[in-house]
Amino acid sequence: MSASAAQIDVRGERWRLRVRNARSFGRTFLGRTDGVVGLAILAVFVVLALFPDLFVGKLETATTASGQALEPPSAAHILGTDDLGRDMLNLTVHGARISMTIGFLATLITVLLGAVVGIVSGFIGGWLDTGLMRLTDFFLILPTFVLAILLAPIILDTIGADAEILGIKATLVVIVVVIGITSWASTARVIRSQTLSARERMFVDRARVIGSGSGHIMRRHILPNVTNLIVANTVLTFAAAIFTETTLAFIGLGDPFQPSWGELLNAAETSGAPGLGAWWYIVPPATCVVLVILAFTLVGNALDDVMNPKGADRR
Amino acid sequence: MGPRYLARKVIQTIVTIVFVLILNFLLFRMMPGGPEGILLRNPHITAETKAAARARWGLDKPLIPDQLVDYVEATAAGDLGFSYKFRGTPVIEVIGARFWPTIILIGLAELIAIVVGLALGAQAGWKRGGTLDRVGNGASLILYSMPYFVIGMPLIIIFAAELGWFPTSGMLTPGAHYDSFLDQLLDFLHHLVLPLATVSLGLIGGYSILMRSSIIDTRSEDYVTTARAKGLTDRTVLRAHAFPNALLPTVTVIAINLGYVVAGAITAEIVFSWPGLGTLTYDALQTRDYPLLQGIFLLISVAVIVANLGADLLYGRLDPRVRTA
Amino acid sequence: MRLSMPARLARFAMATGLVLSVGAPAAAPVAAADDKVLRIGVLQDLDSTNPYGTILGVGYEAYQLTYEKLVGFGQNIEPIPAFASSWSRSEDGKSWVFKIDPNKKWSDGTPATSADACFSWQLDLDAQKTGDSVGAGYIDYALGPNGSRVTKVECPDPQTMIIYTDDASNRVLQTYIPILPKHIWGKMNYKQIGDDKFDPPDDGSGLVGSGPYLAVEWKTGEEIRFKRNPNYDGHKGVEDEIVFRFFKTNESLVQALKAAEIDYAHNISPEQFKALKGEPNIQVVNGVLNGWTELGFNTYGTGTGKTIKGGGPSTKALLDPAFRDALGYAIDKQKLIDSVIGGLGEIGTTQIPPAMPGVPGHPTWHTEPTNIRTFNIDLAKQKLDAANYGLDSSGRRLDHEGKPISLSLVMPDSDANYAKAGQFITDWFAQLGIKVSPQVLDSDTLYARMLPPEGGKEGKADYDLFIWDWSWGPDPNDALDVFRCDEVGVSSDSLYCNPDYDKLYDQQLVAQTPEERQAILDQMQQMFYDQAPYHILYYNDNLDAYRTDRFGGWQNQPANGVPFMGGFDTWGETQLTDVVVAPSPTAAPSGQAPASGGPSTGGSNPPASGGTGTETSSGGIPVLPIAVVIVVVVVVAGFLAMRRNAARTADDDEDE
Repeated sequence: MSASAAQIDVRGERWRLRVRNARSFGRTFLGRTDGVVGLAILAVFVVLALFPDLFVGKLETATTASGQALEPPSAAHILGTDDLGRDMLNLTVHGARISMTIGFLATLITVLLGAVVGIVSGFIGGWLDTGLMRLTDFFLILPTFVLAILLAPIILDTIGADAEILGIKATLVVIVVVIGITSWASTARVIRSQTLSARERMFVDRARVIGSGSGHIMRRHILPNVTNLIVANTVLTFAAAIFTETTLAFIGLGDPFQPSWGELLNAAETSGAPGLGAWWYIVPPATCVVLVILAFTLVGNALDDVMNPKGADRR
Repeated sequence: MGPRYLARKVIQTIVTIVFVLILNFLLFRMMPGGPEGILLRNPHITAETKAAARARWGLDKPLIPDQLVDYVEATAAGDLGFSYKFRGTPVIEVIGARFWPTIILIGLAELIAIVVGLALGAQAGWKRGGTLDRVGNGASLILYSMPYFVIGMPLIIIFAAELGWFPTSGMLTPGAHYDSFLDQLLDFLHHLVLPLATVSLGLIGGYSILMRSSIIDTRSEDYVTTARAKGLTDRTVLRAHAFPNALLPTVTVIAINLGYVVAGAITAEIVFSWPGLGTLTYDALQTRDYPLLQGIFLLISVAVIVANLGADLLYGRLDPRVRTA
Repeated sequence: MRLSMPARLARFAMATGLVLSVGAPAAAPVAAADDKVLRIGVLQDLDSTNPYGTILGVGYEAYQLTYEKLVGFGQNIEPIPAFASSWSRSEDGKSWVFKIDPNKKWSDGTPATSADACFSWQLDLDAQKTGDSVGAGYIDYALGPNGSRVTKVECPDPQTMIIYTDDASNRVLQTYIPILPKHIWGKMNYKQIGDDKFDPPDDGSGLVGSGPYLAVEWKTGEEIRFKRNPNYDGHKGVEDEIVFRFFKTNESLVQALKAAEIDYAHNISPEQFKALKGEPNIQVVNGVLNGWTELGFNTYGTGTGKTIKGGGPSTKALLDPAFRDALGYAIDKQKLIDSVIGGLGEIGTTQIPPAMPGVPGHPTWHTEPTNIRTFNIDLAKQKLDAANYGLDSSGRRLDHEGKPISLSLVMPDSDANYAKAGQFITDWFAQLGIKVSPQVLDSDTLYARMLPPEGGKEGKADYDLFIWDWSWGPDPNDALDVFRCDEVGVSSDSLYCNPDYDKLYDQQLVAQTPEERQAILDQMQQMFYDQAPYHILYYNDNLDAYRTDRFGGWQNQPANGVPFMGGFDTWGETQLTDVVVAPSPTAAPSGQAPASGGPSTGGSNPPASGGTGTETSSGGIPVLPIAVVIVVVVVVAGFLAMRRNAARTADDDEDE
C-alpha cells in the first residue's frame, strides 16, 4: 500500500470515530436533566437575543416610550414600565441582546487568549512556561473592578470614543476587553494543567520520535485532548462574563445608552425603585441574569461530567 | 516540607509584589487628567496655577526613573501618598479607617459559608441523587448565580423596609450615643445581620458546589472503596477518609478567596452603605481618587498574593504528592 | 520621610483604630443620652473639613456650621450680622467698616476680634496677589477683579476692620471667607492652610470656631458630628447636636427617612418626592435651585477664527447662531421637565436663574427674553433649510462644507438625569437628520476632554455638544462670566467669544446702582438667548424631605427654597424648635442677642500644626473581642484539621 493511500484511510477512520464519539456524547449529555434544562433555557435566550424585534418590536427609546412612568404590570404592559415610561418587557428582551453579546465576545477573547497561552506554555515548558505562568499569576490577582475603571478611559482613548467595531459601540468594546483581560488567566491555568498531562501520554513521544514539529504536535495531538476542557471552560466563562458585566453596570461602569440587564438594574436602583415598590423594574432583569448564569453553569457542569466521567470506576 | 520549596515560593511572592508595584505606578500615571485633576475641576483656576501645582507636587520630573523611584521608595516606607478626595488625609489613614468593617463582615461571612457550605456540599455529594442533594444543590446553584446585590435588595425590601426587623443601611444608628459598650455592640450586631446574611448566602452557594464536586471525585478513589470494604460505617468513611481528602482542592480555593476578602464584596457593601473597603473603592471610583485607588489596589494585590502563598504552603503541607523541593 | 518597620506598623494599627477603639466610642462626648440630635442625610460623601479643601456642597454646609463668615445670609439672602455685628460704607464707596462685638468669644473662650478677621481675609489676598489659590481655589477668587475687587484690609483696633475696594456693588457682603481663629492657625500661610486636614481634636472638644455648631468627629464615608457651640451669639436652634450622614443611593436615603433613622433627606429623586407626599409625619419641599441644567455647544473659534488641529467642534455649523437657534426648536423643554425631573422645575431661558437672589430692594436680576422658542420640529427643519443646512438624498443634514452633520454629545456620570435628557435630545435631533452620538464619561475624563489649548497644551476640546449643570452664588457675575472670551481655557465650556458681550459685562461690573445694572443685564440676557451658546434646558428644583415629628420651626432659605443645603448659609439649622411649636412662616432673624459668654469649654486645644497622623478611627466598633473570637475559631479549626490529617495517615499506615 502506498503511503498516501494509508493516510487517506487513516483520515477516514478518524472521521468515523469522531462521528461515533459525537453521537454517544450527544446521547449521554441529553440523558442528563441538568444539561438539558440548561440548554433549553439558553436556547430561549439566544433566540430572544438574536431576534428581539420579532418578539417585542423595536427598542423603545425616551421619545417612543409607550406608557407613563413606573406603571405597574397591566394588560397593556405585562411587566410594567420604567421611569421613562418604556415597556419593561421590551427593554428586558432587548437587554438580552446586549448582555449576551458582551458575554459572547468577552468569552471569545478569554478562551482564545487563555487556550493559546495555556497550550503553548504547558507544551513548550522551560523558561517560557515559567515566564507565562508568572504573567498569569499576575493577572489572576488583579481585582476586576479597580482594573475596569482604570482601563476604560485608556481603551476609549486608544480606539476613539465614537468608534464602532463590527457594529459594536466603543463603550461596550471596553467592557468586553476588560472582562477578557481579567478572565483569561484562570482559563490559561486550567488548560495548561490539562496540556501537561496530555503531554505525558505515549503517542506524543512517538510523534516526536518521528520528527513532527512542535506546532504540529500542539495542533494535532494536544488540542483535541484539551478541547473537552476548553468547551466546558468556555461555558463557565460565559456565565462569569455575564455575572461580571451585570455587576460592572450595576456600579455604574456601563453605558447608560445600552440597556443591558445590569444597566436596567442600575437604573432601578438610582431611581429608587425598590423603595417605591416598583418591583417590576427589578425582577425581570434580575431573573434573566440569574437564569442565564444558572443555565450556563448547568450546561458547563453537565459537559464537564460527561467528558470527564467520575463516580464510575475508572480502571 | 523542604526549606528550598519554602524559599522558592517566598521569592516568587516577592517578585510578584514588585511587579504589582510597577504596574500600579504605570497604570495610574496613564490616567487622563493627571494628579492635578483636582485643580482642573475648579472653573476659576488658570493654566498657570495648574502648572505651578504640577511643579509643587513633583509631577514635572521625568516619569522614569525619577517618579518611579520616588514612588517605590515612598511605598516601601509605608507612605501611600495623599488622597485626592479627602484632601490632606494620607491614603493609609483613609484605608485604615475602613479596614475593620470589611474584615469583620467578610471574615464572619467566610466562616459561616465555610462551615455551612462545606458540610452541605459534603453531605449532598456523598448521597448523590438524594433529596438533600437535589434541593441543596439546586439552591446552591441559584445562589451561586446571583450577584450579591441581587440577594441583598430583596432582603432589604422584605426584612428592613416591610417588616422593619432590621435597619436598612449603615453600621451604626446615625448620631447615636451609647450608655455602655454593650449597647453599642448590640446596635452593631443589629446592623450586621442583613449584610452578613447576604454575603454568607452568596458564598455558601459556591463553596457547597465546590465541595460536592470534590466529594464526588473522592468517592471513586480506591482508598474509599477499601475503607467501605473494610466495613466502616458510611459516616466514618465520609468523615475520616473522604472529607479530608476532598478538602484539599477546596482549601486552596478558599485560601485564595480569602485574599479577596479585603476587596470586600463591593456590591453588597454598596447596597447596605456598609462603611468598608468596598464602599471606599466605589467612592474612589466615582471621584477618580487615583492615589486612594492605587493604595486599595496595592492592598488587595498583596493580600491575594500572600493568600496564594499561604494556599501553596498549605497544600504542600497537606498533600505529600506535591512537594518538589 | 522614612519610617522604620515598627513605626510603620504602629501607624497602620493606629489608623485602623485597633489600638484605640476598644470599647469606648472614639470621641468621648460629655453629651447625655437625651440630647437632641438633628440627623441630616445627604448623597454626597464629605471630602474635607477644610473650608478651602472641600469642593462639595455638603462641605460648604459643614464648614459654615463651625466657621462664621464676616457677614451672613438671612432668610431672603439679605446680609445679616455674623462675625461682624454691623457695617457701613464710606461716603466715596471705596471702603467698608465692619464692627465686631467686644464680647464675642471663640468656642474655647478666647476673645474673637478683628485680628482673626484680618488674618483670615489676608490669606486670600496673599493668594490673589501671587496668582495662586488657597486650597481648591473656590473662595479666594471672589476677591478678584470679577468679584469684590478687594485691595487691602486693615484692623486698626480689635473691634474694627476696614476693607478697601474699588467695586461699586456690595459683593463684599457676600464673601464666603471663613473667619478662622488666629490663635490656632496664625502661624500658617495660605499654602499650608490650603493643604491642612482640619482634623477635629481627639478629646471631643471640636474644632474651635464661632459658628453655631462645632465639628467634633468625622468618620469618613459614614458621618460627621457637630455639637453646639456654647459661645455662639446668634439665634439658637433647639438641637444640641447635628449629624450629617452620607448615603450611597437615593434608595437607602429615603428608607432611612421613612424608618426615622434620619430627620432630613437632601436630594431625593422626583419619583420619591411624589411617593413621599402622602406619608404621615413627612413633609416634602421643592425649593428653587440657583442654577440650571444646560445643553451646551462647542463654539470654539467664534469671534477669534481659531481652529484646533485634531480637535475642536466637528463642524463649523456649531459656530453659526442660526444653526444653534434652529436646533432650539427641536427641544421640548416641558417634556424634559415632565419626564426627567418629574415636572419639578421651570423651563430654562437666560443665564441668570430666576432663583438668583437680588439685592435688598431689587429682588431679582432675571428677565424673560423676547421671542421664546417653542417645540416645533417642522419649524426647526424650516429654519435649518433657510440657513442653508439642507438634506442630502439619504436624509442627512449637511453643513456648509457639504459634510453630513454628526455630533458627539458628552456628559458626566454624576447624575443619571443627564443620560435621560441625552436620550431625548438624540432622538429629536435625529428627526432633523442630524446624528448624535451620546456618551457618558467620568468628570475627570470629561474635564480633560473638554479642555481647549488655552487651558493646557494637551487640550483639544474634542466635543460638539454637552449636557452639564451649574449652580451659582448670590451674585450674577459668575453666571455671566462663563461666556466671556477671557474665560476660554478657564471656566468656559462653550468656548464662546463675543466682544460685544464682553463690553456689556465690563459695563455692568462698574454700574453704580442696581437699576443701572439691570438695564445692562437685560441686554446681556437677550443676547445670550438669541446667540444660544447654551440651550438652558431647565432650572431644576431642589427636592428635599423631612420628618415633622421630632423638630419644628422648619424655615426655608430663601423663602421659596429649602431649609438646609440650599447653598447659602446654615441659617436653617439655627431656626429649629421643638415639635410642639408651630412653624412661624415669616420669621426673619433680628440681630442676635449679645454674646452670652457661658462657661468656656476650657481645656487645652492642641494647635493643629498641620497633618498630624491622628487616626480617623472606625468609630468604636468592638474590634478586639470579635478579633479574638475569630482567631480562636480559626485556631481550633486548624487544630481539628491537623488532627484529622494525623488520623488519616495513621489509618493509611494501617492499611499498608
